[in-house]
Amino acid sequence: MIYTIPKILENAVKGHPEKEALKYMSQSLSYSDLQQKAKALATLLLQLNLKKGDRVGIYMNRCIESFIAVYGITMAGGVFVPLDPSVPKDRTRFLINDCDIAHLITIPTQSRAIDGITKEPISLKTVIGLEKDLEVKTIPWKQVFETNSTEVVFPRILGKDLAYVMYTSGSTGLPKGIMHTHNSCLAYAKGSKEVYNVRANDVVASHAPLHFDISTFAYFTALLAEATTVILSDAHTKLPASLSQLMEKEKITIWYSAPQALIQLLSKGLLEEKDMSSLRWVLFGGEVFPKKYLKRLIELWPQAMFGNVYGPAEVNQCTYFNIDKNYKIENDLPLGEVWENTDYRILDNKDMPVEKGLHGILAIRSETMMLGYWNNNELTEQSLYRESILSDYDYVFFKTGDVVKENENGDLVFVGRNDRQVKIRGYRVELDEVEAQLIKHENVREAITYVEKKENDSGDTITAVVLLNTDGSIVDVKVLQAHCADNLPKYAVPEQIYIMNEFPRTTSDKVDRNKIKTKIAEDYNG
Amino acid sequence: MDETIINYIKNELIVSSEAIDIDAEDDLLGSGLVDSLGMMKLVSFIEKEFELKIPAQDMVIENFMTVACISDYLKAKVS
Repeated sequence: MIYTIPKILENAVKGHPEKEALKYMSQSLSYSDLQQKAKALATLLLQLNLKKGDRVGIYMNRCIESFIAVYGITMAGGVFVPLDPSVPKDRTRFLINDCDIAHLITIPTQSRAIDGITKEPISLKTVIGLEKDLEVKTIPWKQVFETNSTEVVFPRILGKDLAYVMYTSGSTGLPKGIMHTHNSCLAYAKGSKEVYNVRANDVVASHAPLHFDISTFAYFTALLAEATTVILSDAHTKLPASLSQLMEKEKITIWYSAPQALIQLLSKGLLEEKDMSSLRWVLFGGEVFPKKYLKRLIELWPQAMFGNVYGPAEVNQCTYFNIDKNYKIENDLPLGEVWENTDYRILDNKDMPVEKGLHGILAIRSETMMLGYWNNNELTEQSLYRESILSDYDYVFFKTGDVVKENENGDLVFVGRNDRQVKIRGYRVELDEVEAQLIKHENVREAITYVEKKENDSGDTITAVVLLNTDGSIVDVKVLQAHCADNLPKYAVPEQIYIMNEFPRTTSDKVDRNKIKTKIAEDYNG
Repeated sequence: MDETIINYIKNELIVSSEAIDIDAEDDLLGSGLVDSLGMMKLVSFIEKEFELKIPAQDMVIENFMTVACISDYLKAKVS
């Protein structure tokens, strides 16, 4: 029975020990090699006195070691926390302290960043994956792999135990940690394996970084199916010509990414001459796929199936919409129908179910649902919708915040958000968090932000408009951008910042965001 | 040429209040110094600055890994 993350690997080793599990640049690892390496790491973590449920950070880009870390940490009973190496060090330090990470797993190329993170005192005890003179103890990978794991007894792990904490943008100005159990992870892996019929002869491209929730397909579903995962290097994801070469060379059969990556390839004209006949699934999620690009892609790859995947990180995936050959793309794609073992409600703003066909907030109840937000019961409770079934038993739904309606075919259609969460290149950004950061700057009095829609290969960006202090402060917009970049991920830093003297206001003295947008568009974009 | 490109990366692509040193041999891609949007901006900057066109097929790792690689590529292209 496969009910935990380490069991995924155990099962694959039983079925296909010598099969190639992972490929990265010129490196390759079989399922049994991967298990052996994960076991060595797990043993070392136990020797470092890791207790069940302890959090361990994974600080690296996509690479083979990130898979070893995921499986090694969970094997030892630990909880892994993906940390995005491209975010500012203060944000990383916040996350490390927020969930009390004692051990951080990394790779030597992150050496410079690790210096920055450990320069000031921090809760970390060990950095695994590089050798360096630091305040904290370091253990290189070589030593990890030399750890003798033959006699080790690993702790008993249950499906309901915590497996990982994934952080996302929070509207209060601080990131929030989404807690998933082995059960919720496996429910997703099993569900997606079935819906997309993932098989051992599939070659899955791992495009999303571990801290982006759609990465769970490559990290778990592909291994559950005993397929081969081709890990795309950061360099490949930044250089479209190299990426399209690799897709062709590796004969990728399943692709899954945010739309942006495919749009970049398409708009550069890099797909036409490539033989991509091996592709059988093109999956995309994170945001809406602009239909003109999607149509071209479908024409280009007639043999492939296309699937719109939907589900906030809190529930992994919950609906799917697979494009039928006869489907005419006229409007944005529906989110589709909820998948198996999942129920839903569409609620009005008083948490009452709406009549069929009307708009409302989508609430999801499923096995793939998170345990809650890390160390924040209040926020967890706010995010839930309960239906009382018995005096002490409720059906508990997660309110996605996505406004949807049901169309005539019974498919759910995305209408918008009921809050200020936006998507930038597939990543969730709370505009409130960006504004909170802007206002922290000593010269900024007020700030508003909005998304600049761009249907091109650079994707949507964030625009900020600020008011400076009335004491005659002058500040360069570059300085404000740098101030944002000190605490926010790159994709959340406003691409344009404008300074106004005063905001237009409504009669009730509220900032009139629409007027500001119009004024900026008139003044600067002609 | 190296310097022009390094200055552009430092001043336009890396948004941070901390000073970051880049030399021509630094890995721009793996280190996270430049992201995918940054790479697109860098390409259009180079096209404008050096008055040439970089075809999409040339946007490969070998040509853009480091500032030195970019210079070599551009020199070969011009000659």
